[in-house]
Amino acid sequence: MSSSEALPGERPSVVSSRHGSGWSLLASEISVLFRRRRTWAMLVAVALIPILLAVAVRLSSEALDPGEGPPFLDRVTQNGLFVGFTAMVVAIPLFLPLTIGVVAGDTVAGEAGLGTLRYLLVAPAGRVRLLRVKYAGAALFCLVATLTLTVSGAIIGAALFPIGPVTLLSGDTISVSESLARSLLVAAYVTVSLLGLSMIGLFISTLTDVPVGAMAATIVVSVVAQILDVIPQLSWLHPWLFSHYWLGFADLLRQPLDLGSFGQNAIVQLGYLTVFGALAYSRFVTKDILS
Amino acid sequence: MSRNSLKWIPAFVVPAFVVAAVIAAPLAAGAAVDLPDKTAEQVLLLVNDSTVSTFSGTVAQTTDLGLPSLDLGAGVTGPSSADALSTTLELLSGSHEFRVYVGGDSQSRVQIKDRMAERDVVHNGSDVWLYDSSTNAATHLSIPPDLAATAQAKAAELESQLPADLSSPAQLAERFLENLDPSTTVSVGTDARVAGRNVYQLVLTPKVTDTLVASVSIAVDSETGLPLQVTVEAQGQSAPALQVGFTTIDFSTPNADLFDFVPPATATVTSPAFPTTPDGSAASHTGDHSPAAGGSPVITGTGWSSIIELPASAVPAELSDNHMLEQLTEPVAGGRALTTSLLTVFLVGDGRVFAGAVPLAQLQAAAE
Repeated sequence: MSSSEALPGERPSVVSSRHGSGWSLLASEISVLFRRRRTWAMLVAVALIPILLAVAVRLSSEALDPGEGPPFLDRVTQNGLFVGFTAMVVAIPLFLPLTIGVVAGDTVAGEAGLGTLRYLLVAPAGRVRLLRVKYAGAALFCLVATLTLTVSGAIIGAALFPIGPVTLLSGDTISVSESLARSLLVAAYVTVSLLGLSMIGLFISTLTDVPVGAMAATIVVSVVAQILDVIPQLSWLHPWLFSHYWLGFADLLRQPLDLGSFGQNAIVQLGYLTVFGALAYSRFVTKDILS
Repeated sequence: MSRNSLKWIPAFVVPAFVVAAVIAAPLAAGAAVDLPDKTAEQVLLLVNDSTVSTFSGTVAQTTDLGLPSLDLGAGVTGPSSADALSTTLELLSGSHEFRVYVGGDSQSRVQIKDRMAERDVVHNGSDVWLYDSSTNAATHLSIPPDLAATAQAKAAELESQLPADLSSPAQLAERFLENLDPSTTVSVGTDARVAGRNVYQLVLTPKVTDTLVASVSIAVDSETGLPLQVTVEAQGQSAPALQVGFTTIDFSTPNADLFDFVPPATATVTSPAFPTTPDGSAASHTGDHSPAAGGSPVITGTGWSSIIELPASAVPAELSDNHMLEQLTEPVAGGRALTTSLLTVFLVGDGRVFAGAVPLAQLQAAAE
């Protein structure tokens, strides 16, 4: 399952250059991550979400009534730029956390499972740096995945539907270029939204040597958080759930632009980042690396 | 081993620090505020002297009326009055966030922030636009120019009827407090912070005990005199039954573009005539019953424990056979009742409706 492309033979070269700086370790981590067939498969799947949506809407003969289906879907036929927004709403609850779970869950447990972890940790201060590099790789994947979704949505939307000024939730209309800027802002918002989950995944990954277990546990955590978020009796807990603001990017589609939820989301994610970063640190630096 | 235990310190210290920050942040925001003491009358004067006419801000509304939760999206296929009813109920239940922009007397915009959607009300001069993003429908109302004139004339007429000594705000405040005095204790509560501003709390407490209302407090900005928050507490409930207040406020003039609403090209636009009653004043109620068709409501009792009675003929027919109402109410002796922590509605079997901020038993007694 895990990283069959990352041959154990690739790593020793990294180990030898690791004394130079953390950057080479980071570069190696990123290149390993993005050379994996699994990563590419996930990015292609992410890109397919808007494509499937757009093609389905294009081929369907019945027009949707306003308000039917996922948000913005009824507007897609009038303006292709809505494809990306709809795809984002559809992908956030399950698909994006799933891919993040796979990448973040694999970070440490994957190396441990392959037996490459001890080669990476020959240096005395290696463990903290390795955690940092692993997290940076997972965070970069969050950004690449959301950008893939946004770009593929914009391209397929432009290919299949007319493009024009976009109507915001407030009923005001903005130009195409401004709407592209807002799409990028939405991508940034979703990336930030996923940073907390990535750190939880990294922490879980330090607990086990079985990467599949860490991936599954991370995905379960994200699903459980979203279930807790809809139980009204737990409303006191909702603002502290890392998934609570996931769909809050709607505020970026209002006029005037409302950055309030962007900030709140960032603060909540920072909280999760700090807590689970500390847990991952303590767990990883005290861990007996046997493999 | 001890080295390893040291490395576990962050795992305990950092989460503890984050939890402490989470708990401390609201406490710091609500830290004790000490404003120069003012009497209730002075606070009322402060409100009256307020010159704020332009501001923008975010308003949060939380409601805890103990209403049964409703599947509001599902059963709403009835006539428009049912829609209006469900919208009202929806706004009254749970919590909502609004953005409010006010640019003077004739320009305002309210945005109701829904999940992945928004409802807008834009008022600019003689134009009023309603926009709902979930249905992509816009409604345009033109306020007839004579309406404003009529309203002004009426206000002038009313003013001329008032005793002359009420023209000064100070006397007006005094008179207002005098009128409240038999039923209500008006006091100034502890100073607090609302939307990051220091506020005086004007607290109205009913003197009677047979009402469901425990107290009403109004938070008044200490600098501008603008009321920033209204909280209604109910008897025997620790959480406020109703709270509407600013969470952020900015007193600068909002961008004028905000009030120039142009409906999106794809939206369905309707322009119904402005609802008017024969005497030319705006009618706030819709529906097919006119005042002539039925008896007018009767109010019994005074102050907080007053009860309003609607005769059977004044109750719109759609209301009595609305299945949502059935869902909301429960059978009691003599009819059905809707009990919330602030308001009780008693639908008598013969069609009359009693309502009031009193316990159900009082409504039942009034119905006999």
